[in-house]
Amino acid sequence: MKITRMVSRIAAVALFLAAGSLFGQNLTLGSWRTDDVAKISNIIAAFNKTYPNIKVKFDPTNPPDYNATLRLQLESGNGPDLFYARSYATGAELFKAGFELDLTSLPAIKSNFTPSAVSAWTTPDGKVFAMPLGAVSHGIYYNKDIFAKYGIAVPKTWEALIAAADKLKKAGVTPFANGVADQWDINEVVMMSILPSAVGGSEGRLAYESGKRPFNDAAIVGAFQQIKDLAPYLPKGFEALTYNDSAALFALGKAAMYFDGSWTVPQFIDQAKGIQWSVFSTPPAKGKKPVVEFHPDSAIAINPASKNIEAAKTFLTWLSGPQGAKAIGDNLIGVFPMSKNAVKLDNEYANTFLSFNTGAGQDARFVWPKLMVGKPSGYDLLQNNTIAVLKGEITPKAAADAFAAGLAQWYKP
Amino acid sequence: MKGKSLETERNLVWLWWIVPALAVYLVFMAWPLFNSLRLSFYTGTGFKLDNFIGFDNYVRLFAGGEESTRFLGAFKNTLFFFCVHMLVQNVLGLAFALLLARKTIRGKPFFRTVIFIPATLAIVVTGFLWKLILNPQWGPLNIILGEVGLGDWALPWLGESHLALFVISLVSSWQWVGIPTMIFLAAIQGINDDYFEAAEIDGARPSQVLWRIKLPLLRPIIGVVAILTFTGNFNAFDVVFAMAGPNGPPAYSTDILGTYFYRTGIAGQHPVGIPDMGLGAAVSTITFLVLLAGVVIMQALSREPRGDRR
Repeated sequence: MKITRMVSRIAAVALFLAAGSLFGQNLTLGSWRTDDVAKISNIIAAFNKTYPNIKVKFDPTNPPDYNATLRLQLESGNGPDLFYARSYATGAELFKAGFELDLTSLPAIKSNFTPSAVSAWTTPDGKVFAMPLGAVSHGIYYNKDIFAKYGIAVPKTWEALIAAADKLKKAGVTPFANGVADQWDINEVVMMSILPSAVGGSEGRLAYESGKRPFNDAAIVGAFQQIKDLAPYLPKGFEALTYNDSAALFALGKAAMYFDGSWTVPQFIDQAKGIQWSVFSTPPAKGKKPVVEFHPDSAIAINPASKNIEAAKTFLTWLSGPQGAKAIGDNLIGVFPMSKNAVKLDNEYANTFLSFNTGAGQDARFVWPKLMVGKPSGYDLLQNNTIAVLKGEITPKAAADAFAAGLAQWYKP
Repeated sequence: MKGKSLETERNLVWLWWIVPALAVYLVFMAWPLFNSLRLSFYTGTGFKLDNFIGFDNYVRLFAGGEESTRFLGAFKNTLFFFCVHMLVQNVLGLAFALLLARKTIRGKPFFRTVIFIPATLAIVVTGFLWKLILNPQWGPLNIILGEVGLGDWALPWLGESHLALFVISLVSSWQWVGIPTMIFLAAIQGINDDYFEAAEIDGARPSQVLWRIKLPLLRPIIGVVAILTFTGNFNAFDVVFAMAGPNGPPAYSTDILGTYFYRTGIAGQHPVGIPDMGLGAAVSTITFLVLLAGVVIMQALSREPRGDRR
């Protein structure tokens, strides 16, 4: 009796699964973007207009736990069919362990992306392990009302930026909203937004990575000097001000400028309703060429253990096509599609961010491509020395020397 | 013969009563503990620890270089965290208990409740509230300091390397001071009144009653409280995580063993986020050994002199 019941249950489940594969396929998409549930469902809805039989379920994880959770899921055989892949070494690590399908020969990769767009998800021997989804840009948000009141024009050089900050401070206005309590923000949106112009873009970065330039040369000292220039113009108590505190200060109109990433655009559209605001590109120091911190942020990889690899490929191919690019750009405001099919975006702020790229170079965050995996990581060294300079604990020269000495412990060009 | 086996059976009946607890203990405490000990000798990629490396993880923690700077720093900070609790939380707890035990004091239930309430709140809530109170821009503390003309004292409390951990320790002491207070109060109330009456007849001053009668009789309880504080603080994680996050800002000054273990063994460090579980297991093993040694030493110290226990 029991056995027959069990058999009939198994048969029912098998039938259900078979029917599923005949009449429709289910895909899960793992991600670290818990904030994007509604936006991704819009993108999936657009996809289902063309492919009604493939159901995609967006299943994000709390961002700080994403890498570890995903790894555990993959190793225990419960990984999602598709998942967001980190750029460079962190993403390549999963490919090496066999958890990401080789996409090198996927036609969409060849036809819809330039090699440089895919480079962040390409192994040193040329294997592509994920399809680029979006890049993020960085710049300085500014309060138009305050700028107009004190007659300040959008600064084109670093010197003009500091002069504007000085004018604002003398008038009793907090020039910048940034703080250092959460640490990552001062590193990723301030220091790494200054560095690309300071070191001469991706060419400059490659020269450091290949050992042609020492990590404490004049350009790096100059970038730390720029950090020091900012110190007097941060809010009172910036030492204990968190990322959310800073955003609130700016949104409430209590600070004139705010270094941040393009991903904050939707938040300010919702929250900074009381002020007129816009963004400008982090200006280069006099004599330097402008290079934008345009960072390859997210891509999607396919789990080789998935039962629906073909459906997953169909989804990625659609996502990189014209309809997909439009859906990404218009729904994920502040994330920029990286395919050649990029289209004009509807959002004015997103367009302003994208306009920084015109006539300027672009590069990823300085430490991401090569300097992340050793201990102490380039990320940590840059972060701690930047904060120390801001607090006046060390000089820019000492900071650059500490950065180079820390990397020398493990990094071989 | 039969009678004897019945006798043995009767003597062993107690065994069945502890089986459920023993099973739970073995499965959820003992086995993970030993497995963690075992894993501390392994390394691997991701969550597969299959490469036996002997004591290498331990060597990395002690032999200089980045990893041991972080580990020893976290160890030192944990010790500091514990000392602040001993000096602030437990001394205040003892003082409160002595006051509450006085027969003359009024409104005892009220004070008892006020002192104990924080201990009933979730640490995430109190941590968040204190973060708001201490905020340099809109926190009430700095605003009040400014209002009364002490603007210079309005520091970025959680942003200075030499202050942050001390401030967090004080918040934690504030939250948990009710526990030692209650333990000490129960112990003081348990002291036989005859001693106090005899002392009064002999003309002892209140300070003499405190130093010669109450404190010596409280000695074993002080030991128990010290052991509880020690185990609680060397395992601490939540209050620091709630107020400063897992990375020990600023400049690793609030990094304690709990947060260091969380970063190495569980979450990995932002932005790479891949844990080194073997190293994490080594950290937790050392924490376990420190706790074990500490508890044994404190138990020996707090034992009543003259060896007349019970």
